[in-house]
Amino acid sequence: MADPFDSALDLLRRLNPKDTARNVGLLCDLAPQLTEDLLESVDVPLGVRRCRKTGREFLCCDYNRDGDSWRSPWSNEFEPPLEEEGVVPSERVRKMEVRANEAFDVYRELYFEGGISSVYLWDIDDGFAGCVLLKKSVNPSSKTSGSWDSIHVFESQDRHRTSHYKLTSTVILNLGTNTDTLGSMDLSGNMVRQVEQDMAVEDDGSHVINIGKMVEDMELKMRNLLQEVYFGKAKDVVGDLRSIQPLSETKRDKAAHREVISSMAR
Amino acid sequence: MPSHADALASFIDSAPPGELSNVTAALKNLSVDDAGSLKPAYKKYNEEQLTTVKLPGGSQLVIVSKYNELEDGRYYDIEARTSWAFDHATQKASAVQTYVHESSHEDLVNSLYKALAAHASEHYPSSSIGVFPIENDSKIALVTVANKYSPNNYWNGRWRSVYVFTPAPSPSLTGSINVDVHYYEDGNVRLLTSKPLTFSVAGSPSAADVLKQIAQAERRYQEELHRGFTSLSENAFKSLRRQLPVTRQKVEWEKIGGYRVGQDIGGGRQR
Repeated sequence: MADPFDSALDLLRRLNPKDTARNVGLLCDLAPQLTEDLLESVDVPLGVRRCRKTGREFLCCDYNRDGDSWRSPWSNEFEPPLEEEGVVPSERVRKMEVRANEAFDVYRELYFEGGISSVYLWDIDDGFAGCVLLKKSVNPSSKTSGSWDSIHVFESQDRHRTSHYKLTSTVILNLGTNTDTLGSMDLSGNMVRQVEQDMAVEDDGSHVINIGKMVEDMELKMRNLLQEVYFGKAKDVVGDLRSIQPLSETKRDKAAHREVISSMAR
Repeated sequence: MPSHADALASFIDSAPPGELSNVTAALKNLSVDDAGSLKPAYKKYNEEQLTTVKLPGGSQLVIVSKYNELEDGRYYDIEARTSWAFDHATQKASAVQTYVHESSHEDLVNSLYKALAAHASEHYPSSSIGVFPIENDSKIALVTVANKYSPNNYWNGRWRSVYVFTPAPSPSLTGSINVDVHYYEDGNVRLLTSKPLTFSVAGSPSAADVLKQIAQAERRYQEELHRGFTSLSENAFKSLRRQLPVTRQKVEWEKIGGYRVGQDIGGGRQR
């Protein structure tokens, strides 16, 4: 019999991806022993909070959470403030975190032309780990909406003059439109990809550069993949279910085509 | 807080085409044994999704819907002239019997069936249809379901069309189309569409008239859905994230790393 945790994940990749956040909640309620694992491993659309100190918005996930508060990457302080001191990265890692946030803020503006970015780092044995978060929502018309959430989680293990990076990326892309002529159309979901790479490291600045390049390459790949699945595959399946052209015509066309080919071969 | 039963019912309700048994297996393995209380959820799923079933000893697929349910909970098919018992949780048919449905619209039902069958064979590579008198013989339901399952390639799809025709005294025709596509290779992507249809019918329309209207509406809808894909791709998707920055060059991370927020990078806004 399969592991209950695997069954929960199997269920979540089958049920409507738009309901993933709600379904994770329901599963935690049904099987409380899975709560921690589910919250840690299932990606849901990112929350947004405003940093009291800088006035800037930042993104919230399990990695910058302490109880009911989230750490702002801009001020390193928790929002809402914690009564006791929260867990923050070591001085060295926080320094990298500040630089990474500056770099990904530029990246965000170049690629997303809006939205919010946040990078969180934490110390691990033999290195550090972190996540790069990006979020943007659009309403190109009153009847159409879209949202993009990138969740890149990585680990960096120090080796001699190089580092071994492990990156797991999830993009949650939700698109929907509702008009009188079309009715409602919802095209939503998430895709996950992983990559591992060794890259040269001179100093801590190298890490920000290396992670930047990996995330950029990954997002380029995933954007193409999403385009293929959402607007290629899904559309093709609709065409496989129902044919606009009468099938008798399609058959005739195919027969005529074969005729031409075989007469050319003669 | 919804009860466990409500949670489980909502899981069954959103099971993708062809994947109900996978959802059931996962729920069982989570040791949620609520089989009894889930009966209504399974029934609702099968009737709404126009579940098709192969009858024991038969080769054709017949439809399970709210339109062809008999008072004793069995289902029937006009064309196959049979009725059967249906286990909603396992989606298996049993206890098949000969059954002829009495209707004052027998001829109309037959000609609608023939016309719908001809239409379906022209536009659906693989589909099941049903035509059933409903509401005390006052209306006739026409249902079509087309499924294509490709679990080895991690995708499944379903197209459903349902129409209700009132022949007299004032003829009317209404309907709905629903498309459901699931793609789940290293992810979970779902297309869900829903379109209500209203028609204007005059005089006393023949079966051919009814199918002409249906054929037109389905073609128009499918074309509109194609435009929907294009529009979401060109507008919403493109405005979420660019493929490359305006400069058409990837980010120069060496520069970002060293400098502060980047006027040197081009296009970057200073804070």
